[in-house]
Amino acid sequence: MKFIGFQNAKSLILISLALTSLSGCVTSTIQAVREANTGMQTDDAIVVLGRRSRPTNSETELDFVSCVAKGVTNGANGLSVVSEGDFMDAMFPWFEPRTAPANTQDLPELLTQPLLAARLEEIGLRYVVWVEGSTQRTESGGSMTCSITAGGGGCFGFLSWENDSNYEASIWDIKTGTTAGRVASEAVGTSYMPAIVVPIPIIARVRKQACTSLSTQLKTFLRGDA
Amino acid sequence: MSLFGLSGCTGASVEAPVKFPVPVVEMLPVTMGLVLNAELTDYVHEEKLEKNGTWVIDIGAAQQPMFENLFRGLFANFETLSKVDGQSATHNGVIVPSITQVQFSIPSQTRTDYFEVWIKYQVQLFDEQTLIAEWPITAYGKANVRNYGLVSTNQALTAAARAACRDAMAFFALEFSAEPKIRAWLDNETGALNINPNNNSASS
Repeated sequence: MKFIGFQNAKSLILISLALTSLSGCVTSTIQAVREANTGMQTDDAIVVLGRRSRPTNSETELDFVSCVAKGVTNGANGLSVVSEGDFMDAMFPWFEPRTAPANTQDLPELLTQPLLAARLEEIGLRYVVWVEGSTQRTESGGSMTCSITAGGGGCFGFLSWENDSNYEASIWDIKTGTTAGRVASEAVGTSYMPAIVVPIPIIARVRKQACTSLSTQLKTFLRGDA
Repeated sequence: MSLFGLSGCTGASVEAPVKFPVPVVEMLPVTMGLVLNAELTDYVHEEKLEKNGTWVIDIGAAQQPMFENLFRGLFANFETLSKVDGQSATHNGVIVPSITQVQFSIPSQTRTDYFEVWIKYQVQLFDEQTLIAEWPITAYGKANVRNYGLVSTNQALTAAARAACRDAMAFFALEFSAEPKIRAWLDNETGALNINPNNNSASS
């Protein structure tokens, strides 16, 4: 293997940094199932929660939940979103992993409690969006070797990996105590990292795409446009 | 929340967070005394794991804010006492919580991405100096290391400890008045007030 000097390596690193904006292809699909009419009034708010019931080991990532919440808030037709942490504290202890309602059948009983109903009214909460799912690496291949010597260093090889994001959001209508519908988002993409001296990552932003698709569709769904 | 640095390449030293919510539950119409012994408020779990270093979880600092907020939401009135003194003029009963055991697991032990923390409490209820009930509580919390970036050990273990403390509060808030011996004592103390224990019980 031929090694390069420090100055040349520096130039190549700068080039590779510029190339990091390259991104791999992502294929995404979105599906929505409506079970009831939806709509948002001016003062209505929603909360996006990740399912954390026990003892599953495939919890939805915290940053995915906050990405969806942010995505639903942003844009011209953005919705008012209560943060997951604020909601959990405001409704404590009714939405903890031990106590969170498993399905909408548990909602009416919960809402008969005056304190809880008053707190929900105070927050202005209309819909609870439960997000389940995760991003998994489904395939990986290739190899890469890197070496460092006194005169410089470098890598040689090729890596590739495929990520698959699968998420489903269940929308609960707090006013009616029923499921308003479900929105599912799937995204698949392969990332590559060729290296001739300097590795050049070409990343498929699978989870980001799944988040964007899901939040865009949720906005449309909750406003009753789809 | 305060965190300490990593101790070597493995192991960690963390302190459970001290910020907790006040539970939204139907208040029980009693004035309760709360005794927080030094054994509880100074509780530190230290464990050396083979090939994984020394792990320190300071649970004690979280106990005072945790129990005070719990009592603020659950009882009509409460006061912090230094001991069970039998002077019941101002309170109906006295609760003395203690930690009997703390366990935790790290991802390399369970081959998962999760830190897990279990805390076992023993809650004693006194009326004057008479022990009315002893109530064990097992709380559990977990946190995924992948949620906390590259330097995730301390943050994930702290999150697991916080989740365990919240779980203890949730169980206490929802099940206290349903525990048979406590229920009987509450009925006796509150007379015809007719508290419905189901109002503070989790449906799931």
